[in-house]
Amino acid sequence: MTLWLMAGLLFTPLAWAVLTLLTDFRWGRWVTSFGILVQVLVSLGLWLTIARDGGFYYGLGGWDAPLGIELRVDGLAVTFVLLTAVVASACGWHAGVYIDPDKAWHRYFWPLFWFLWSGLNAVWLGGDLFNLYVGLELISLSAVGLVALGGKAAALRASLRYLLAALLGSLAYLLGVALLYGQFGSLSIAGVATLLADNPAPAGSGLALALMVTGLSLKTALFPLHQWLPPAHGIAKSPVSALLSALVVKASFYIAARLWLEFGATIGSFAAAQLVGLLGSAAVVWGSWLAFRQQQLKQVVAYSSVAQIGYLFLLFPLTYSVSEAVSLQAQQGITLQVISHGLAKAAMFLAAGNLILSVGSGRIEALAGVSRFLPFSLFSFGLAGVSLMSLPPTGGFTAKWLLLQASLGSGQWWWVAVLLAGGLLSAAYVFRIYRASFLERPETDRFYHPPRSLEVIPLILALLSLGLGLASEQVLSVMALPFEEAGAP
Amino acid sequence: MMAGWVRTLITTLLCLTLSGALAASIWAIAGNPTPVDLPRLLSENMDRSGVAHPVTAVLLNFRSYDTLLEIGVLVIAGIAGISMAKTASLEDPELRTSDTLLYALQRWFVPLMLVLAGYLLWAGAERPGGAFQAGAVVAATGVLMRLGGIPMDFLRPGLLLRLGLGLGFSVFLVVAVASAIGGEAFLAYPPGLTKALIVVIESVLTLSIAMVLLALFVSAPVNDAEDPEEGGPA
Repeated sequence: MTLWLMAGLLFTPLAWAVLTLLTDFRWGRWVTSFGILVQVLVSLGLWLTIARDGGFYYGLGGWDAPLGIELRVDGLAVTFVLLTAVVASACGWHAGVYIDPDKAWHRYFWPLFWFLWSGLNAVWLGGDLFNLYVGLELISLSAVGLVALGGKAAALRASLRYLLAALLGSLAYLLGVALLYGQFGSLSIAGVATLLADNPAPAGSGLALALMVTGLSLKTALFPLHQWLPPAHGIAKSPVSALLSALVVKASFYIAARLWLEFGATIGSFAAAQLVGLLGSAAVVWGSWLAFRQQQLKQVVAYSSVAQIGYLFLLFPLTYSVSEAVSLQAQQGITLQVISHGLAKAAMFLAAGNLILSVGSGRIEALAGVSRFLPFSLFSFGLAGVSLMSLPPTGGFTAKWLLLQASLGSGQWWWVAVLLAGGLLSAAYVFRIYRASFLERPETDRFYHPPRSLEVIPLILALLSLGLGLASEQVLSVMALPFEEAGAP
Repeated sequence: MMAGWVRTLITTLLCLTLSGALAASIWAIAGNPTPVDLPRLLSENMDRSGVAHPVTAVLLNFRSYDTLLEIGVLVIAGIAGISMAKTASLEDPELRTSDTLLYALQRWFVPLMLVLAGYLLWAGAERPGGAFQAGAVVAATGVLMRLGGIPMDFLRPGLLLRLGLGLGFSVFLVVAVASAIGGEAFLAYPPGLTKALIVVIESVLTLSIAMVLLALFVSAPVNDAEDPEEGGPA
């Protein structure tokens, strides 16, 4: 059964990418909805299997590491697989209604969408350093293709900038992989971690880790390497922006986090951990401030991503040379932050897309009076905002609460200030949008009414991010499940 | 003026530091044997791989998942390229030459290059070569033909082009999932059929890789019709 689920999980997105390549946009929509159904069922099935039996290694092609490639199927990985299934199906559903089917080049949306999904799954499950690189390439190239799809010069400029940043990040990561392979002769993360635990770390492995983390931070848009993100996320179509902010940037962060948790304790250093944490904090403050200053609705949401990504990098200082319990708390907090930001930001971008569709302009001032016409979308935007502000009972609140405890527990009280300031600043930029939408102006009484399904989707995502705080116990329990080191069953 | 000078200096210093650190760590690596001896492990398993050349064995058997996804990356590049193509550019007479020397050369080169591609593909089994090299040569042949003004209708962004882009990837994927349906792991070749399957996969991959590269060359001009943008300056 597990073997079938794994094959389905790996096969479906790739197969649907090829199938939708052969159809036009309208047919692609039907084919995709069937694929989404299969993929959601398979993801859910795998999650339930792992929750019941625990995790395992899955050797592809029947070869085990280090000769072959092994996938690490554990609680954290399947949780993210499930998150991807939820967010991607919402975005796919939204895109099917939102995107104009009559433009010939929009048919390429579906294959790129499916390739992106398969790349994300490859990264969540990857247990091999080079395979993770391939997964990253799959994600970056399809994301760049989606941003550029049918765009004018500005969209091409943004996507080219994105492509160059992503390639530079990938190359830095690959350089680090090459160095580690030279030192250990193995590409398996688990294999290298075992070797590191038993022997003294070879000279230069610190450099390898630094290169990999730097490259991945560039791809995650950590301050001050974030400049490529707002133009790309702002100019893409709303369902694409939602995918990029909710999932794509998390993939590179996920790899950085996995590397840090496996290798950081032996080849990391206190100064490096603090530096990464400091950059994350700067991202929280500077990103929120820039979000507050933007004139375009989607730019506000994009800069808010820069800020929210900053929190994730607090993982580095909060897990380096601290007690087991504090480290676990930090990991749980960051996991919840990834999930709640993923749901909330997808909801926010989709709602923003509806608002823009309704008023016919991307400027914030143009939103005046929209509260009477599109209360649902505005409500979803606000609910997602509540999660970003981390008010109870949202997932954002539980995440920050765990991080707060981890900071105090490890004696690194200075991160507490960042957590509190970030919440206040995000309140400022969310309320600014609300203020604009409640203003009344005489000339604005003609609004386009988007189909009801476009309004329902962000609402569902926003409610999920709200409910995450209440279900966090169940979500986090899967992460602590037993893991068979012995290999695939 | 001053700022530019300082910036150059800082960049140079950074580059030198990074190169120095890299050189030092490569020097250290070169002196020490690695704890895991992957080349030995590889040669021990070669007889189970179905081919005689270690690179092909790694690419299409031991680490075939990487190769499958890499082909996916190539298909994505092709899709992104043709999504920006405008059909008119294919018919644009300015993009063709009417050089008689090129025509004459083509008659010699095209068959020769195709034979070379076939050889590279076949040689992959026991010496360096294989689908990627052969595909690149086929694509180069296509570029030459296109510059010479041979129409090649299949490159117009239609169903045929998309079929060609996806063909190699689909065959690889079907083989991968067939073994999973048979109860093995994803991508495991059934025993006895390894060699035959690898040859089939390599051949269709050659075709698709050539299609991707050629499509990218042909679809270089950017389309004129646009969508309204959501986030950009109005």
